[in-house]
Amino acid sequence: MSLSSSMDFVPDAAEASQSERQSIAGRQVMAATAWHSLLWLVVANCVGVLLATMLLLPRIDPLLGDWTYGRWMPVHMNLQLYGWCSLPLVGFLFVVYGVRRVPAARWASPVLWLWSAALGVGSSSWLSGHSSGKLFLDWTGYSRVLFPCALLCLWGLLAAAFVIEYRGRTSSLLTARTLKFAGLALLLLVPALIYIASSPALYPPVNPDTGGPTGASQLESTLVIIAILLLLPFGISDRERRGSPTIALAWIVFAAECLLSLGLGRADVSHHKPTQWISLGSLLVWIPLTPAYYSGFHWHENTRRWRIAFLCWWSILVPTGWMLFLPGVLDHFKFTDGLVGHSLLAMAGFVSSLLIFVLVQLMGKDGWIFNRSWSFYLWQASVAAYVAIMFFAGWREGSDPSFSITPGPLRNSIYALRLLLGILILVASLDWFRNASSLLGETNASMPRQIAAVSS
Amino acid sequence: MPASRFSNLAAGWRGVCLVAITYIYFLIFAQFAFLNRLNQIGIAGAHLQQIMATMASGGIALSLLATLRAFEPWPRLRLQISYIICGAAAALTVLPLNLPGSIALSFLVGSGLGMLTVTLVSNLQLWIGPKHGLWKIGAGTGIGYFVCNLPALFTATPNTQSVTAALLCLGGIFAASKTLPPDASCDEGVHRRELSFGVVLAAFTALIWLDSAAFFIIQNTPSLKAGTWQGTFHLRANGIIHLTSALASAFLLRRRGLSVVLGLAVLALSFACLLLHQPGQVLLASLLYPTGVSLYSVALVAYPLFLAPSTSPHQRTFRVGMIYAVAGWFGSAMGIGMAQHLRQVPIPFVVLAAVLILGPAFIPYVRHYWRETTLVGAALAVALCIYLASSASGRKSQPTLTAEERGRQVYIAEGCINCHSQYVRPGSPDVLMWGPAGAIEDLRSQHPPLIGNRRQGPDLTQVGGRRSSLWLKAHFFNPREVSHASFMPSYGYLFNDSTRGDDLVHYLGSLKSPQYAEHITVEQRWQPAESEIAAGSPKEGAHLYMEYCATCHEPGGLTRSEWKSHFTRLPPDLQAGPWLHLTASDPSTRRILRLAQIIKFGIPGTDMPGHEYLSDKQVVSISLWLNQSIVLHQRVANIENRSGEDR
Repeated sequence: MSLSSSMDFVPDAAEASQSERQSIAGRQVMAATAWHSLLWLVVANCVGVLLATMLLLPRIDPLLGDWTYGRWMPVHMNLQLYGWCSLPLVGFLFVVYGVRRVPAARWASPVLWLWSAALGVGSSSWLSGHSSGKLFLDWTGYSRVLFPCALLCLWGLLAAAFVIEYRGRTSSLLTARTLKFAGLALLLLVPALIYIASSPALYPPVNPDTGGPTGASQLESTLVIIAILLLLPFGISDRERRGSPTIALAWIVFAAECLLSLGLGRADVSHHKPTQWISLGSLLVWIPLTPAYYSGFHWHENTRRWRIAFLCWWSILVPTGWMLFLPGVLDHFKFTDGLVGHSLLAMAGFVSSLLIFVLVQLMGKDGWIFNRSWSFYLWQASVAAYVAIMFFAGWREGSDPSFSITPGPLRNSIYALRLLLGILILVASLDWFRNASSLLGETNASMPRQIAAVSS
Repeated sequence: MPASRFSNLAAGWRGVCLVAITYIYFLIFAQFAFLNRLNQIGIAGAHLQQIMATMASGGIALSLLATLRAFEPWPRLRLQISYIICGAAAALTVLPLNLPGSIALSFLVGSGLGMLTVTLVSNLQLWIGPKHGLWKIGAGTGIGYFVCNLPALFTATPNTQSVTAALLCLGGIFAASKTLPPDASCDEGVHRRELSFGVVLAAFTALIWLDSAAFFIIQNTPSLKAGTWQGTFHLRANGIIHLTSALASAFLLRRRGLSVVLGLAVLALSFACLLLHQPGQVLLASLLYPTGVSLYSVALVAYPLFLAPSTSPHQRTFRVGMIYAVAGWFGSAMGIGMAQHLRQVPIPFVVLAAVLILGPAFIPYVRHYWRETTLVGAALAVALCIYLASSASGRKSQPTLTAEERGRQVYIAEGCINCHSQYVRPGSPDVLMWGPAGAIEDLRSQHPPLIGNRRQGPDLTQVGGRRSSLWLKAHFFNPREVSHASFMPSYGYLFNDSTRGDDLVHYLGSLKSPQYAEHITVEQRWQPAESEIAAGSPKEGAHLYMEYCATCHEPGGLTRSEWKSHFTRLPPDLQAGPWLHLTASDPSTRRILRLAQIIKFGIPGTDMPGHEYLSDKQVVSISLWLNQSIVLHQRVANIENRSGEDR
């Protein structure tokens, strides 16, 4: 079963011209999605380089006046999360709900621009010193209203596309329609949840021994990622064969872990409690299970290197994440660069590779924009080196806080290397953005010409 | 370079000089020296406005008169007469002046400049040469601005600047004495995209309006002036930016056309005007302002000759007259008037100017992308309505905030959470370093808790117990001066125009739990391990002392000098003493331990901070060195015998 009606839509001869037109519109939608995603990746990476420079060369601070490190940080983190990490998933939703087809396709670009406008307004508000004080939920004031509005517009487009598809009977499976409807109902909650979660009055459970998240919270948030991992193939690929035991097993394990998470509750519990770290250890089962699960689906040949990359990062992320939570280890690394390194492993290593894998699958042949070898290896090697040096810095800092507070030659050398690696990461993302721009230009230019050719 | 190319470039040197001289005269004499001279003789307020109005009237009148057909036949003579009038006005400025004399002189300055600019720009092809006209105008404009920003000239007395301007006018008379034959093929290949004269006139008016307003605000606001036009470095940087931007303008005018240059100029000037609202961003504004000014200044000279096709020389002269009378004089007067009355460039005006200039270029895009424009515009408007409605209802129920609460908001706004935690991990080394751990219930009562997730700097949970308000304030102004190797940025701007800085100090000072008093006894019981004492090195201690302590304890220490009158008690000069917190009868070993405690945790209730993040070995090293080389027995006093303290 595939949730994506466009993937298994086979036109007959009479519908050939219509199919051609839909195909061009679909390419345009995906090119625009990739372009917006990469735009924010590049902007966020530029800000990241600026931040790394500020930490190494604080003498540049006066040049930026009151746009200090503290104001740039939410810009960097939120653009990575709500820009780069979110927009490829918007592309996934476009495909699942049939926004790649005319007439809904015409409104994909306006919705993407609105999303980008909300991020632009958000960035300007954070730089002006407006923040809720909650990391990754800094939305406040006008931007706290505008971003949910952008999410609502996206939802409206998905709903409209769903209705058009329902009326057109292009999707025959009742199960698929029911699941899509349920998904739509859940997605309607997201704008309200973002608005509510940004409230300063709400705060998640706290690990009393570190001030960070509890084991239950980490299990919960990781299960959300796993849910996305499990759902993604259904939206963008077909199964190798029906009734795969691995796929069924994965869903059973997921359900069991959800029950475990519910059982742990939402109290302020220390990581020293064995129930917490043992429960979190249950995630280790996903190291072999995820690759096995993904091997049960058909993938476009262009996705190969990115699929391998994201699965490799996953197999590093899960055990290191668990080890970093263990008593003694977390006590050493908490508040240090070690956790910065682990965040980068998660976001730049695993999540970015996964998102590019998804985009390449959605774009098919147009996925070439991500597949130049030099930018692929530059990104992966730079991220790996970045993670390694941050772990080293964190390990040193855990033993001696002055390593970071009063920087010496070793810390400065590490930070100089970090800056260099940040620039290399930026260079790789610039290559993808440049390719995405030329692809977008090409699809925009080809649309009227090809439609004319098809019509004639 | 081929000889013919070189001769083409060299042929226009007179034109380059004339453009540069005219700009220098206008900028350094009419905008600075003359006004400063009036200031010297005590003319201000309504009288100054009268003089400025007279100058503008003279400028407008002669700019328009110069367009009359009757003047067309003698451009060279007219230009030379203009320079004579301008030079005479500059020379007369050094004489003793009274109000009537100043008014007469201002009319002379305005009328001379009006005739000079219109005559020069209408007939520039006579001096600029047959080729590369745009480059030469760019060079002339850039050199003009560059020379004005030379520190020697910029900071000279009004009389020196006036004499310089008069001498340059003499040079202008000489440079105008020879003309070149006009060439129809002048600057072929220039990007000419039709923009109606009315649009161009409106665009130049808006740009000069913005420029004059920003100029007046910077000139009359000491903090802005200090951040832009004061100091050799600023002036040199401004000169280089002007020169580079003028040449870039020439390049862009040739390759991309007038609309792109005007668009970039309005963007640069608009952002500069917006940034002037925030004193903390003055440095960025000081980069954008000269960029925008030079971009449009080149276009102002080049437009009539190279960028606007004219049907006749008279039409060209008429356009020049209109541009300089309306955009130049009227726009300038309006900009200064706006700045005088409002002390800022209102944001709606900036937006209006930007829309006026950029709007026409965007219309085709808006038409093509109507769905995008409509959806984004509608969503922005709807969100604004919702936000305004909710904030209006929220404002009614909002209580008045205390200084601490406002300070907490500043802490959140500045993103302090990204470098500082507010969470002491119980039972960990955090407790000794940063103070006692708090209860989760207290944390949950904060909205939101400001735990943070990364420590680039110390934990601040108990900072009110560990640091005095003076230390916090001094640290905000110049972190590196107070805390060696700190990479925290300066937050001095928080103290400029509001209570934000003091509120933040209040808030941080309040971060101290009731358990902190007990914690002090823990600090006083602390002793470095024997092994650390053995490993300590007085030599390293001397080095560390210079890095961490000298700023307060050396007679010439920077913090000590800058904050001298603010200390509760001036930090003792460690060469002279007295040492009030050491006991004279203590043996050396005990004194070393006591010094180590003071170095590590500071002295509660005073401005002496701790150095909790230093290793025990480093603390012992400083202690050993102090004990060896500074603490002489006779200078150590009992704590009960406090005397001889300077304030």
